[in-house]
Amino acid sequence: MNKSLLLPHRYKKPGWYVLIPAVVAGLLLYISGAEPAWLNMKMLALIEFPLMQADAQQATGPFFHIIQDNISNELVGMLIITGALMVGFSKEHNEDEFIARVRLNALLWAVLVNYSILLFCFLFFFGLEFYSVMIYNMFTVLFLFILRFHYLLYRQSRFTADEK
Amino acid sequence: MKNNIKVERAVLDITQEQLARHVSVSRQTINAIETRDYVPSTVLAIKIARFFGKSVEDIFTLEQED
Repeated sequence: MNKSLLLPHRYKKPGWYVLIPAVVAGLLLYISGAEPAWLNMKMLALIEFPLMQADAQQATGPFFHIIQDNISNELVGMLIITGALMVGFSKEHNEDEFIARVRLNALLWAVLVNYSILLFCFLFFFGLEFYSVMIYNMFTVLFLFILRFHYLLYRQSRFTADEK
Repeated sequence: MKNNIKVERAVLDITQEQLARHVSVSRQTINAIETRDYVPSTVLAIKIARFFGKSVEDIFTLEQED
């Protein structure tokens, strides 16, 4: 693995501090459907095809216009992805070629498992439920990777704990 | 691929940690090599052999299935 693509180790802890609250906030927002009013603001839409007919009448066209939007989804999504990237792709304090291999193995495992789950959902989830699957799926590959990577590191360190 | 790092370590009476520090890797890496979970890169294999003052093939040997 090209180590220059990894962040320095010092980004790992802040990554957790971003990721965990963002996941909690994301779940709360998703379950409650709440959209805090203070997060209503004007955004530049590079492209937007309005879902509602009423919006369509207001819209001047799908490209490059200012829209009124609640940015809670965008904010939480960005924080989850940023936090997960910081946690998953910061160097370990003892990063070396073996840990790089563990990292790549975990990434491969995560991609395979993620797309296996997605294939299953393609076949058996329909309508709005599939929409939920797509939302979760934006993040699951990173989550699976982080979980697998840390499990493998933990397993390795447990095996070596008493070794002389 | 087999290796006799554990034996060589015993000869010098050093721990995995000490060897790891000398060749600039983590202790897990040395452990994974010893337990044959991991085949080191050529660079690391040469570093380890040099540390023991031997050639790479004195430390690492191919097996039938390699």
